[in-house]
Amino acid sequence: MRITTSNAFETSVSQLQRRQQAMSEAQQQLTSGKHVQRGSDDPAAAARAERAMIAAARADSNQRALDVSRSAMQLSESALGSAGELLQQAREMVVNAGNGSLNDSDRRTLAESIRGLRNDLLALANGTDGAGRYLFGGQGSDGPPLIDSAAGVVYAGSPGEQQASAGESTPLTVDGNAAWLGTTDPADPTARLSVFKALDTVVAGLLTPGQTGAQVAAVVSTGLAAIDATSATLASWRSRAGEALNRIDGIETRLSQGKLAAQTERSNAEDLDLVAAISDVQNQQTGYSAALKMYSMVQRMSLFDYLK
Amino acid sequence: MSGMSLSSLGVKALAANYAALQTTGHNIANANVAGYSRQQVELSTTAGQYNGGSFFGRGVDVASVTRLHNEFVTGEAARSASVAAMDSARLSHLNGLESIFRTGEQGLGNAVGAFLNSISDMASSPSDTAVRQVVLARAVDMAGRFNEAGQALDTLQANVTSELKVGVAAVNGLSQSIAEVNRKIAAVNGRGQQPNDLLDQRDRLIAQISQYVQVSRIAASDGSVGVFAAGGQSLVLGDRATPLVLMPDPSDPRRSAVGLQSGTKPMLLEAGTLGGGSLAGLLLYQNADLSEGRALVGRMAAVVGLAVNAQQQRGINLLGSSPTPAIFGLGAPQAVPSTSNATDASGALMGQVSLSYTGDPSALRASDYTLREDPAIAGNWMITRLVDGQPSTDAADSLSFNGTSASFQGVKVTFGLPPPQAGDSFLLQTVSRAANGMQALLRDPRDLAAASPLVAAVAATNTGTAATAGLQVTATTLPFPGMTTRLTFVDNAAADPLNPVAYTYTILAADGSLVGGNATPRPWIAGTSIPGNSGDINGFSLQLSGVPKPGDSIDIAPTSVAALQTNNGNALSMLALRDMGLMDGKTPSDAYAQALADIGSRVQTASSASDISTAVADQSEQARSSTSGVNLDEEAARLIQFQQSYQAAAKMLQVAQSLFDTLLSTTSR
Repeated sequence: MRITTSNAFETSVSQLQRRQQAMSEAQQQLTSGKHVQRGSDDPAAAARAERAMIAAARADSNQRALDVSRSAMQLSESALGSAGELLQQAREMVVNAGNGSLNDSDRRTLAESIRGLRNDLLALANGTDGAGRYLFGGQGSDGPPLIDSAAGVVYAGSPGEQQASAGESTPLTVDGNAAWLGTTDPADPTARLSVFKALDTVVAGLLTPGQTGAQVAAVVSTGLAAIDATSATLASWRSRAGEALNRIDGIETRLSQGKLAAQTERSNAEDLDLVAAISDVQNQQTGYSAALKMYSMVQRMSLFDYLK
Repeated sequence: MSGMSLSSLGVKALAANYAALQTTGHNIANANVAGYSRQQVELSTTAGQYNGGSFFGRGVDVASVTRLHNEFVTGEAARSASVAAMDSARLSHLNGLESIFRTGEQGLGNAVGAFLNSISDMASSPSDTAVRQVVLARAVDMAGRFNEAGQALDTLQANVTSELKVGVAAVNGLSQSIAEVNRKIAAVNGRGQQPNDLLDQRDRLIAQISQYVQVSRIAASDGSVGVFAAGGQSLVLGDRATPLVLMPDPSDPRRSAVGLQSGTKPMLLEAGTLGGGSLAGLLLYQNADLSEGRALVGRMAAVVGLAVNAQQQRGINLLGSSPTPAIFGLGAPQAVPSTSNATDASGALMGQVSLSYTGDPSALRASDYTLREDPAIAGNWMITRLVDGQPSTDAADSLSFNGTSASFQGVKVTFGLPPPQAGDSFLLQTVSRAANGMQALLRDPRDLAAASPLVAAVAATNTGTAATAGLQVTATTLPFPGMTTRLTFVDNAAADPLNPVAYTYTILAADGSLVGGNATPRPWIAGTSIPGNSGDINGFSLQLSGVPKPGDSIDIAPTSVAALQTNNGNALSMLALRDMGLMDGKTPSDAYAQALADIGSRVQTASSASDISTAVADQSEQARSSTSGVNLDEEAARLIQFQQSYQAAAKMLQVAQSLFDTLLSTTSR
């Protein structure tokens, strides 16, 4: 094949340019540390990296929701624990009130103390997480969910449990309606008994003056039965909160594993193998410098140099 | 035989070698001129003279100066350069398109993900306006990114149009020049000698025009060539050139098309017939790649925007109002009439068509559609989906209908007054314009509807393990507003052994009185929602976890007025959009990854096509240059060769002179 001068120049210049371009691309990859910078670098890997990035962001968002759920459940669990202790105190006072040697005024004193405990319990039931959410707000309660009314304490929120958006279902609130107001009445299995009604009934019974010993004993025994029943309900809700906390720990482990997997996936898909990349660049450098040398040697040769 | 013949031999040899030296000099001078064909002097021996019983040679003549040229190789070089120009034009613009589909944190997929994820925080603290403000900020950011992408797509279209304009002007200038050179060549055609440099110039002009549009050439008897593009449309015939014009694409006036100005009305050259050249590459990119990119971006904007708006409208905002205002505003779907549609007396287009969404965003496809008369059924109209700018051949992508409206793939087409006329056609841009003008409409964070109008509560007396795992409101207006739906589970093993638990329902008014219901058991199928496909009950879809037992009941009741600020039911429903197969069955983030890969592989394919066609073009150019190009070493050798011959010829004159002198001195004695 005849080689022609201008074409030979052009071909070698464009080849040098191609080498230079390849080097600049390799350099770009080295500085960014990514072998996929655009979709076209590797469409399948770019899609994988994209999905992994979304999964990692989702894990972060789920983690935030989970943290809220955890704090709500911790607070609820401890509130229910305190409630159990208060009810225990009330129970002891009711037992004391059954002592035959007490007179009306002694029972009045005890009744006042029990009323105080009852009000403490109501405050606990309307506790918040510090950010305005009622721990026992069910599926939403804009004000205190448990309010005193003429008919006793009633539930003002939406009954049920609010869910957090942590990927798996975890509660944000405890169903205050069921926990505080939802005990089956031991005296009447078709009726619902509330913690507050149980205490209110005992207090009213103890405040009634001039009762016989048998009457007082009846007040005490129905009262104890009611307190025990409501106490059992609260304890069962407490263990549900504890169980939710356990689940939250499990979910957190899964979330962090999932996030790690997503990050690894993203890195596998789009990150650069540094060792291979550096050796590649060095290879290209050697090639480029050899090409430059050859160019300067070969293209310099001309017959005109020998015509003197 | 005389001394004069020797000197005339010498003179002829001098002249011939001088001519050869001159041609070599011309070659050296033009060594770097693109498209120059090296020339050489054809020498011929002058016929001998019979004298004294022998033929004596009379020296040398210059027969002609010819160029070394192979028409096939030159044509091949122009053709392959034309294909390379097409591929490289498409590739360089595809790179611009790819920059809209960015990967990672800068991408549209991440903006959508960040917006939806921010709703998670609102679900955790529905009454916290600071968190709601963050949701609004993400919404503004997402809408802004889509809008920006829509604008960038418009800029890409404008770039294509302006580049086409430049290309068309260049083609017109070149074809004018070719016509001019044709005229000059025809003028000297009768002389029996080739006007080498004019021929080179014309070949060069044809090679240049091939960069813009692939042409074929046909030689005429007068030495001129006809230049034809797009399968036989003449650009140059003899000394007349027909100009190309840039015109709006009749089927979509926002796009550009190339036409031939023959007669009064320009004739459209179909992009597919251009074959090669940068104009063909630009049109291919515009009609297939750019429209696909626009549809992908637009569909994502439309589906996310519409789905979020729909869910927003089903909820209750912090102010307690419902339905709540939409979060996103979108570019409206458009029916673009063809410029060749029927016009009235004043010249205005007659047929009116409008588009609207059917309310099922997940049915939307990332495509434009055409609307035209059904060629098979008289009186029917036909909607056909376009794939890469071409009508889809899949029967499922077409709908033939009779009447003034039809719904197809998430969009409703409605004829206006007057309706489309016979022969009219429309381009239906169902989603392509959605990203343009996308904006977040809400300014007040309290307007975000986090609360659901319904809450589900499991009865305390239930003995099964069923709990509510998710309650979605699916209707903007509930069939029984303010009423409670009570689902009661019953034993249905006898009728349906596979799904032994079934449910009945009653609708109860606020005071507990019975309003309606259905006592026919509907099977409860584990893993599916209630009511699923069984027919709507009160605009909700309830997902259970665990298993209900016969006798259990679940109430789906209006959310208590005192819970509207703290309920997060609708925020959870919005979040569920993250996992819904809204785009061809894919979740929004998955669909973006898919789009990214789609555009990426287009670029990849175009890039390797361009690499290949550039290599082929380089090779053809090398073949052309191998025949026609100048090699300076070769010319240097020829310089020496002809110089020596010239010196020898001069020596002949000297010998002739000295012979003559000898003769004179002999006779003078």
